[in-house]
Amino acid sequence: MGLIGIATAKILSSFSVFLFLTIILLAVARRISTSVLLFGLQSAVITADVIATAFQEKLPEVYVVGVLVFAIKVMVIPRALFVLTKRLKTVRDVQASTTPTQSVFIVAAIIYLSYAAVHSYAGAIHVSDDALAAAVSVILTGSFLMVSRKKALMQMLGLLVLENGIFLAALITTFGMPLVIEIGIFFDILMGLLLMGIFTFRISDTFEHLDVSKLRRLRG
Amino acid sequence: MLLLLPLAIPVLGAGLILCFHNPRAATRAALGLGAVEIALLGVLVWQVHERGALHEGRYLRADGLSSLFLLVIAVVSALVLVYASGYLRHMGEGRFSSPRWFYALVFLFLFTMISVCVSANLGLLWIMMEGTTLASALLVGFYNTEGAVEAGWKYLIVCTVGIAFALFGTIVLYIAAVRAGMSPASALDWVSLMDAAPRAGFDPHLMRLAFVFVIVGYGTKIGFVPMHSWLPDAHAEAPTPISALLSAVLLTCAMYAVMRYDAIVSRAAGPLFSHSLLLSFGLASMIIAGLLILVQRNLKRLLAYSSIEHMGIIAIGLGLGGPLGLFGALLHTFNHAVAKSLLFFGAGNVRLNLNTLHVDSIRGLSRSMPQLSAALVIGALAIVGLPPFSLFVSEFGILSEAFAQAHYVVAILFLIMLSIVFGGFAFHFLGMLSGEPNRSPENARLVPSEYTTMACAALCLLVFGARIPHGFAVLLQEAMAVLK
Repeated sequence: MGLIGIATAKILSSFSVFLFLTIILLAVARRISTSVLLFGLQSAVITADVIATAFQEKLPEVYVVGVLVFAIKVMVIPRALFVLTKRLKTVRDVQASTTPTQSVFIVAAIIYLSYAAVHSYAGAIHVSDDALAAAVSVILTGSFLMVSRKKALMQMLGLLVLENGIFLAALITTFGMPLVIEIGIFFDILMGLLLMGIFTFRISDTFEHLDVSKLRRLRG
Repeated sequence: MLLLLPLAIPVLGAGLILCFHNPRAATRAALGLGAVEIALLGVLVWQVHERGALHEGRYLRADGLSSLFLLVIAVVSALVLVYASGYLRHMGEGRFSSPRWFYALVFLFLFTMISVCVSANLGLLWIMMEGTTLASALLVGFYNTEGAVEAGWKYLIVCTVGIAFALFGTIVLYIAAVRAGMSPASALDWVSLMDAAPRAGFDPHLMRLAFVFVIVGYGTKIGFVPMHSWLPDAHAEAPTPISALLSAVLLTCAMYAVMRYDAIVSRAAGPLFSHSLLLSFGLASMIIAGLLILVQRNLKRLLAYSSIEHMGIIAIGLGLGGPLGLFGALLHTFNHAVAKSLLFFGAGNVRLNLNTLHVDSIRGLSRSMPQLSAALVIGALAIVGLPPFSLFVSEFGILSEAFAQAHYVVAILFLIMLSIVFGGFAFHFLGMLSGEPNRSPENARLVPSEYTTMACAALCLLVFGARIPHGFAVLLQEAMAVLK
């Protein structure tokens, strides 16, 4: 086992811990820019995991997916979100409806719940508890961010975190979906973000704020 | 080639339409391209009937079930394109909101929905389903008013999250298939999955887990209660031709996806689990939407809740299964699509002429706009399921299946909700039609594009109510054969 082999084994055994770290930090982040940075970091951890999986299982297709994740989720999306935050000139605060302390406790509960939920499945499909629990807790944290942060940009970010979790679940259980499908999914994410970007501009034009919780004219 | 052309025309057409800056030229181009597209879909449906399932590479396939839904798309899009040519006459040239943008986006929307119906691969099906949200979000927010932007944002976010859950469900199904020994390349292929389902030894727990995520995910797009929050807003704020497309075809396409999954999961893990989930979502949607119909004040929101109720009826038909249940559910998708298009067209004209959709402030329509009132009356009678209209036939089929299988609770709740919805529609529509007119319409007579589409839809409802044409009955049989 060479140096690369050792690195691969280390990445595969420890990436769950780094992911737990990113979701806890996301819970306490007070600024949109910090959250975007954390999303980029989380995607970088996932990239490392993808490349390590590709190396260990000797799957050339997965390298391509790794490059795509790096290009799209580590480089393009965080930059685009930074540009968007600057152009929209909104308040930099995420405007959470829970205090950071509460958020940390909620994310801790999410991690605990994820372990409890995946326990019976992880054994059946021969995957480590840690990896599957990490994926599920990333999905749940994404949903939590979407419901507890009022900024339109944070809802986009929550959605991205949620999608990261789903991607991770596919990766650790089956080494990813077929390449064509993965590329299609990436395309959808990019288009979705583009549209959400258009809509954030429209919201700020028509309402002069970006607080989604104040969008409540349509009810009943 | 037969499968590729109907997919290529809308995409190329969307690009072409964007080149026409003159609204009239754009409208003509859209009508021409629409005619070509609908003819191609007709040929495709005919060829599927003649030659059986068609393939194109590993990812595209059309069988009997696809062709039934393609027919629904073709009929409704024909009506919508013709109706829109008259409806958009007042629209000026704005940024992203001009007739050419409207038609270009409509064609992209059609492309994604047709692709959903001809996807052989469940992964591609998911990609295209997400594509339908993306293509239609700008159409929902088309008017750029406060309400439209809010509805568009809500639609985009709620449906994207919902669809993300469906992706998770797809992945769980993929895990189950790969673990059962299928090759990764064919583990998302619908036909291979159907072949393998009875004997491959899929883990039933994983299959059920997959179905839960899929029905919640695609159920968000269908508008099942309690994931329906986006639906009334989107339907009410979108331009009327788009409301008709959303209600008549988009929800139906999402239902199509659920049918495909239901078939696999029923084969692999027994029908009990997936069918009872469909029954519960169906009943919940019917009951909640039926009650909410009573308190609606906006005509288009009223129709939107009625769509949720009808999706509930279709889900109940699927959940009951059996020959009559399935027959009723498939026939109801078509009938509902036609009846709802007719009603939305009517609502669009109310809005154009009276500048309001508020049910309480509309009075005396039958005197001020007799032609429009006739269309609204036919639509309303059809949608509440009265004979001689076709929705009666499909609802009766589903109801007889419920009694035949001794699902008495389902049958009685079904009947109670139908009566409540009948009461709600009668109350709202009688209020709008009767009495002295309190506003004078801008144009009491309908223009040709409006009355031809409304008359076609009404005629279709009557004909299908009297007797299902032979060709369509064959199509239904072929669609049912696919799911068995």
